[in-house]
Amino acid sequence: MFARNSHHGFIPPYILKRIIDNGSQHQRDRALGTLAHVRNLLPNPGPPNRQPMASVLPERGRPGEPRRSVHDAQQQMVLPGVLARIEGQPPVADAAVDEAYDALGTTHEFFWQVFGRDSIDNHGFPLIGTVHYGVDYENAFWNGAQMVFGDGDGEILNRFTLSLDVVAHELAHGVTESEAGLVYFNQSGALNESVSDVFGVLVRQFSLKQTADQADWLIGAELLTDNVQGDALRSMANPGSAYDDPLLGKDPQPGHMRDFIDTRDDNGGVHLNSGIPNRAFYLAATALGGYAWEKAGRIWYDTLCDRRLANDADFSAFARLAVDNAIARFGAGSDEERAVAQAWADVGVNP
Amino acid sequence: MKQLPALDSDATIRLSRQGGFAAIQALSRPREIDFASCNERQRQQICSVLEGCLPLATSPSGQGDRRYYQIELRFRQQERDDEMVLQVPEEQAPGELVRLWDKGEVL
Repeated sequence: MFARNSHHGFIPPYILKRIIDNGSQHQRDRALGTLAHVRNLLPNPGPPNRQPMASVLPERGRPGEPRRSVHDAQQQMVLPGVLARIEGQPPVADAAVDEAYDALGTTHEFFWQVFGRDSIDNHGFPLIGTVHYGVDYENAFWNGAQMVFGDGDGEILNRFTLSLDVVAHELAHGVTESEAGLVYFNQSGALNESVSDVFGVLVRQFSLKQTADQADWLIGAELLTDNVQGDALRSMANPGSAYDDPLLGKDPQPGHMRDFIDTRDDNGGVHLNSGIPNRAFYLAATALGGYAWEKAGRIWYDTLCDRRLANDADFSAFARLAVDNAIARFGAGSDEERAVAQAWADVGVNP
Repeated sequence: MKQLPALDSDATIRLSRQGGFAAIQALSRPREIDFASCNERQRQQICSVLEGCLPLATSPSGQGDRRYYQIELRFRQQERDDEMVLQVPEEQAPGELVRLWDKGEVL
């Protein structure tokens, strides 16, 4: 009845034309399947509770010990779903459940060992994950209380637990919410996204014991199916180069302020303009060398936890505090201070 | 709560699904609806869907990778072009809105 059209808004016409011309019947069928479930949703249950139901919480252990529980939504869109594996239990015969359990554990271990942070709130917050959310659901998210992972449509995107950095990215949203609380809109939202990408890749590098020059700096490399011409969803080293596909088009992320995208879509382009602070982190980390979490990662974490960082901070404000924190931890005139200042300058952000 | 403006034949609506970890523009699949190409019954049906979304609309800022439906209304009011933007969280979106976005149909 009503045609899709692209002459208004911010979606490049060539992308839409390609989708309309080249989108398969399978993709349409998957979307319709999701639609059927969405239509069956119950009325709005209200905002999520800050704490999941007590009955599904792992018992509180010693500081630094994770409290994981992974649930199976069984293709429904109701949270948290059926408990599938709780802290201490052996693997189950479900790859998504075990991937989520392991990735949450690795991410918890990273924050504890590297920064001495005990989970999302630094007070042992339970790590609740739900897998098999919806039918062919092409997303993962943090809802203020837990993490949620879809199975992907299998044609463009695989299940979201396949990528360790994706699980870490979602958990890091909880950390950011507990610290600076960066408002998920415009530049502060892009910083929020970037911080999650930063800790996402750091958890992967930590897991693989990779130095900055050994890492690929890709986000969601396992997510794209073989049908997609691309390496990942995002590239921190070269934003805008992650994929170039006949159906999806080209990765639109900018890596410099001169290419900043002004848009009302995507909460003000939070997944687009995050390419700019992402590249700043990559430049700082590779300039300093070694394990990225030891210097650049430490500085970014200190900045995120710095009480001077306002929740509506823009790129310049974050950059300024990053330089301050480089000085505070490594000294005025240090290589770390210079590398951080130069990295932000190189992406067009003046601290 | 916002009120729906009077939408005449010069109104247009852009529906899109926004946000998400995989914020690939292809997945937002924006749809334009031109009221000039709709009959009166269709306009009434669409306005009914939109009115049902008004109490569900949230503030512009989101939360870690959560998706939402964006409704952009462009219309003329008192001989001036005007605009209203609504954002409805995915998990709260009425089925009729999702169907309108996905299929371009109203029941």
